[in-house]
Amino acid sequence: MLLAIIHDAFKNLSANLLRSGLTMLGVIIGVASVIAMIAIVEGGQVWLVSSLERLGTNLLFVWKKRLTVEERRMFAGRNIMLKYEDALAIRQHFPELTVAPEVGFDGQLKIGDRDFSGRITGTSPEYSEIRNFFPAAGRFLTTADLQEWRRSVVLGKTVAEVLFGSESPIGKEVKIFGGVKKAKKGKKGDVTKVEKKEQETVEEYRFVVIGVMQPKGEIHGRDWDEKVFIPATTLLRFFKGKNRIEYMVIYVPDRNRMDEFSRKLHQFLVQRHEGVDDIRIRNQGDFLGAVEQTLWTFRIVLGGIALVALLVGGIGIMNIMLVTVTERTREIGLRKAIGARREDILLQFLIESTTISIIGGGLGIILGIFAAYGFGNLVAQAMPGGGDWGAVVEPTAILIAFTFAVGVGILFGLFPAMKASKLDPAEALRYQ
Amino acid sequence: MLIDLRNVSKVYKAGDVVVTALIDLTMKVEQGEFVAIIGQSGSGKTTLLDILGCLSHPTSGGYWLDGESVNELPDSRITTIRNKKIGFIFQTFHLLPRKTALENVQLPLMYARMPRATQHDRAKELLTMVGLKDRLYHYSNQLSGGQQQRVAIARALANRPALLLADEPTGNLDSKSGNDILNVFEHLHQQGQTIIIITHDPLIAQRAERRITLSDGKIVSNEVTHPSSEITV
Repeated sequence: MLLAIIHDAFKNLSANLLRSGLTMLGVIIGVASVIAMIAIVEGGQVWLVSSLERLGTNLLFVWKKRLTVEERRMFAGRNIMLKYEDALAIRQHFPELTVAPEVGFDGQLKIGDRDFSGRITGTSPEYSEIRNFFPAAGRFLTTADLQEWRRSVVLGKTVAEVLFGSESPIGKEVKIFGGVKKAKKGKKGDVTKVEKKEQETVEEYRFVVIGVMQPKGEIHGRDWDEKVFIPATTLLRFFKGKNRIEYMVIYVPDRNRMDEFSRKLHQFLVQRHEGVDDIRIRNQGDFLGAVEQTLWTFRIVLGGIALVALLVGGIGIMNIMLVTVTERTREIGLRKAIGARREDILLQFLIESTTISIIGGGLGIILGIFAAYGFGNLVAQAMPGGGDWGAVVEPTAILIAFTFAVGVGILFGLFPAMKASKLDPAEALRYQ
Repeated sequence: MLIDLRNVSKVYKAGDVVVTALIDLTMKVEQGEFVAIIGQSGSGKTTLLDILGCLSHPTSGGYWLDGESVNELPDSRITTIRNKKIGFIFQTFHLLPRKTALENVQLPLMYARMPRATQHDRAKELLTMVGLKDRLYHYSNQLSGGQQQRVAIARALANRPALLLADEPTGNLDSKSGNDILNVFEHLHQQGQTIIIITHDPLIAQRAERRITLSDGKIVSNEVTHPSSEITV
């Protein structure tokens, strides 16, 4: 019986191929868009998590808070701002943590007639481990480099290529210009512009290349291969003239104690700063959480739009099923006259609408997977640093979309089918 | 007694307009009778057919079919009665398109929940009986009018109904095909099948053994044209 009804459904659908196809298209597009949307957001999440992992995991970022002029005046004379010594003190007080200070300036590297302009970062040996970023040749900075204010430099891959081409830079000398250490020569007002400029950029030192970093590429819009590292102590002494650092990156071995250390560090630093709360600690996990929340919003909004598309497809099914019921009124009348029960008629039309949604759903899955990868590639090309943003088609997404499609077929088929089953046989038989 | 209609009236309401199709109609049909119900259009023929075929209920009065009071039965039982006890034959054949002769005949068997293999055998047997043995797998649009009506007869007989109800069965056929169909009816009648034919054509009515004439919703005459023993084919 059921087999015969399903057989009939296929026959009837294939008898109106264009109509069935167009009705199916609504479901196909709906299912495909659900799958594609979820896959793209899912791909975004995978991309985000992996890129954050490339930046290192279990990290706390310690920043100095920007103080207002009034606050500065109020706290004058106290031990405020984030300093290199703070990093050393944390290292001593919390031996289980790994600390890397970071400070930088926009400088220029020069060798012969080749030069490279970019950010010069001062840090400590721990940086490499924490940031999961290691030298491909030579070595990274060492404790000795910092303790002796050595003029050692580690180059990013691109920097090494620009300055040295295919030659090995290890052991070679480069000149580094830059810094903001103000020259205090001459009287104000009586120097020419050219002289003034010269006076402000007098810092120029010879450095020895000790290492070249492995390629890491672009993460969140920053090219890590253009980085240049020198000892933080050297940078502060020669280019800054003061001991303030920009921020610290702190690695917490136990993920579950991130919040605890965040609190303790905050307390410790406020104490060191003589009670002034001028620091800010951000947990990488918080950041991830915030982004994940955004992704969830995306998932719901995009998924919702896709589901609306599916719903519209369902309305298409209902529409065409109503037309079908009207067209086949006489057939329904005849079937009832020869002994079809209400539920037989109901089942017949319900199976027809469900067949549309099942076939549409199946084709939609195929289209959705193609669309997801196609669109994923498009996103990857459009986004800076999104090179590995691929769509991730989750089996659960397929299941959800398909179940929903079949549900839509049943739901929207129900009304026309009920209408058909309730027809009066005598009237239906003579319907013109 | 197979059919027992007592004081049946049927009133249709379409908005404010009230149409009385049957007025206080009483008739009986015995098992094995071949009855023609004749009348002009608008005489209430179709309404009577609908009531006899359990397609609609009378507004008032009683209908006993094979001893069961149809008015008091639940919908599901009436469906079963239509399936098992009544075989319909229509002027326009009412075969389903996109289905073969065999599939059309199988339909009432399917609704009777007969096993598939048995359905097939029974349908084949019926089509053979109406002389369409070599047309089993033809679609309805590949058959002539006479052939289509034979398929419809086979379908009507599928569940061995107590009553065969034919509504202008020859109305859409040429006289030769029409005559063939009437011969089939006579043949069935000889085998003891109860048949009621509804028609406006007195010539067709003459082939039956009893003729009931309907006018304005009332029976105006009820005459035995020839006793069953005299029927010759």
